[in-house]
Amino acid sequence: MSETRFITTQALAELTAELLAAGTRVVAPAEAADGAVDYQVISNAKDVVLDERMPRRSLRGFFQPPTEQVFTWNRTDSGFSLKPVDLSTEPWVVLGARPCDAAGAAAIDAVMNGEPKDDLWMRRRETVTVIGLACAAMGPGCFCELVGKGPADTTGSDILLRPAQGGYIVEIVTPRGQAFVEAHSAKFTSTDAEVQAPPKRYDPAPMDRIEAWLEANFNDEFWQELSLRCLGCGTCTSICPTCYCFDIVDEPVGTSAGARRRNWDTCQVGLFTLHASGHNPRPEQTNRCRQRIMHKFYIYPHRHDILLCTGCGRCVVACPTGVNLPEILTGIAGRAGEDTTMGGPA
Amino acid sequence: METNTPQPAGTFEPRMVAFVCNWCTYTGADLAGTSRLTMEPNVRIVRLPCTGRIDPLFILKALERGADGVIVSGCHPGDCHYTSGNYHARRRFAVFHDLLQFLGFEEDRLTFSWVSASEGMKWKDIVDDAVARVRALGPFRGYDREAVAGSELAGRAA
Amino acid sequence: MKELQDLARTLLSDGTVQVVIGWEDGPTGARPVFVTSPEGADKLIFDTRCVHNLATFLSPRRSHVARLGKAAVVVKGCDARAVAMLLRESQIKREDIVLIGVRCGGVQKDPASKEPLTAATVADKCTGCDVREPHLADHVVGELPQAPPNDDARERFIEELSAMPASERWEFWQTAFARCVRCNACREVCPLCTCERCIVDKTQPRWIEPSAHPAAIMAWQITRAQHHAGRCSDCGECARVCPAGIPLDVLNREMARILQIRFDYTATDDPEAPAPLGAFRTDDGQEFIR
Repeated sequence: MSETRFITTQALAELTAELLAAGTRVVAPAEAADGAVDYQVISNAKDVVLDERMPRRSLRGFFQPPTEQVFTWNRTDSGFSLKPVDLSTEPWVVLGARPCDAAGAAAIDAVMNGEPKDDLWMRRRETVTVIGLACAAMGPGCFCELVGKGPADTTGSDILLRPAQGGYIVEIVTPRGQAFVEAHSAKFTSTDAEVQAPPKRYDPAPMDRIEAWLEANFNDEFWQELSLRCLGCGTCTSICPTCYCFDIVDEPVGTSAGARRRNWDTCQVGLFTLHASGHNPRPEQTNRCRQRIMHKFYIYPHRHDILLCTGCGRCVVACPTGVNLPEILTGIAGRAGEDTTMGGPA
Repeated sequence: METNTPQPAGTFEPRMVAFVCNWCTYTGADLAGTSRLTMEPNVRIVRLPCTGRIDPLFILKALERGADGVIVSGCHPGDCHYTSGNYHARRRFAVFHDLLQFLGFEEDRLTFSWVSASEGMKWKDIVDDAVARVRALGPFRGYDREAVAGSELAGRAA
Repeated sequence: MKELQDLARTLLSDGTVQVVIGWEDGPTGARPVFVTSPEGADKLIFDTRCVHNLATFLSPRRSHVARLGKAAVVVKGCDARAVAMLLRESQIKREDIVLIGVRCGGVQKDPASKEPLTAATVADKCTGCDVREPHLADHVVGELPQAPPNDDARERFIEELSAMPASERWEFWQTAFARCVRCNACREVCPLCTCERCIVDKTQPRWIEPSAHPAAIMAWQITRAQHHAGRCSDCGECARVCPAGIPLDVLNREMARILQIRFDYTATDDPEAPAPLGAFRTDDGQEFIR
């Protein structure tokens, strides 16, 4: 269901100010203290930055903070009392979510909204209105099209703003988006403005063939070659819109109180799979590099029919040693094309 | 144990930890006790074999676990029971002290001293002085564990 | 860079080494490359985009690289400092590596940058460089370019910070550290983070909590800086990789300044130079001790 409306840049700023004045938590791209653009909780509509600069980290931190409390405990006369964290969440808004970031959060829902349901994640997902911002230009690392997404993809957005002359064409995507527009209908008008879209950069990669190759080639020497330059820093996982792996820690204060916390974790460090016995099933960076590709392009789509990558390209730009996902995917597709032992359409 | 000065209700009393070496400062503190010297009661002593054993992490952990100030004390250079432990400690603490200063940490919360086994009076002076300085600074709030960082990301304490 | 490629080709074909670790032109700029055959030597480049400190691949933790066999590593003069530290700390043996020194006139902040090298684009670490001709090397290749453009922005920033009242400095660092998510990228890229089990990963007892709250972040950042004192080669990779843009190299630089002022110590590429925190003098300064 898609209806098209328009909102001027001015009206959008006013709408943002109204949301803030009503006490709504608004997350939007804004300049951080060091000048880079980050998604942040904003307190002033003037801080919102909706230009070509991509926020350097994804939206993950707003659905799953780098550290979040699960419960606290206190010693009582008869034992311990556990107090789970209060899950009630006021409705909130993300303004200016890049399509890759909106789709990333939605991709993670497949695992968080399963059995059992992850309330810590889902309470923030169920209360958010995502106002996406289509990209008017591709960033240096962007490869959303390669993985079947695009600069105006609507997955995960309730409303999508598409840059046009003087403002944004407004595409309503979900019933929640519809309700939002109706609630602020005075800000929206109609239009015959033209959308500004960037030129195509990639054709979609043959993901089915890639998935099949990954399933069949766990021990290929390809993994050793690819992993050599990887330092296992995990930067790729911390800025990624679709990474969600976490660690649970219990942090006592003294002997009678403390908190259980959930922290971001990364499959790129050895500790991630280190057993208490000292055995590590992923002892080297080769195993860990392979795991990242496998999880994103075989294991997750195999289980949930969704790729665990939206092509935001941050890993391409952020990697200190030039590990390059489009290069890897193209390399695998090339190998998959040569592999005559695989089944597939003739 | 009472202090000489009565404390009005509601006044902040610092909680302090002292990491001291067994051979000099611990013995010096003991001498202060046997001499019946009166001093501020705010300091809890942790005894170690030598200042060379003291890792800056001990100081950080004490602050994290509720201390408002820390004292580190050992043998005078040249008198170390293990010959050179305090020389290593001196270099390590010099670097640590300067690092904390660069970070803007309140210098008066951290006190380093050399107190020998016979310097009971000096120990009393060190303690009284350190406690007074930390009392003036107020409770240490640098380690707010309730505010979850990345608060820019989460928007509120989780 | 023909001299480099020829040398690499020779070292590989006569079996002196099984891999040459250098730089190549990648899809998004200069990046490390692992050449294992003489034909592959054609890929090797050296230009102002070669920011990375390749000494990090010699760290014993990179077992997936070590299994390739004996390595020759292309090093700028500053990278050789990290090699010297690894040698000093017995993490590698001198006879197990071949060092190809490359004469250098400075590198960009950004390995993808095709800009000319200017005061605005040059990496902070290049200012005042005195090792454009690497000393610790088995071979030295390349022409000696002119000195890098001077940009003392980092030094001036440190002076500004030092001149602030303590509470303002604390505010600055708290704000910068608040973005830390404890991803440990700074630790993983560092050539000198060689501990098989980092202090942060120890749970019995738990000295530094892994969470991203101010208490744990402070403990991590301070410990990291303290553990690097005297060992850091100022390659700046920690700051470059930090996904939160925390100025880690400023902290490392200040540690180096502290060691210079207090103990007249500067990190060099001499593996025999004693570690400042492993040595002492009986007349070391103690003005901060009562």
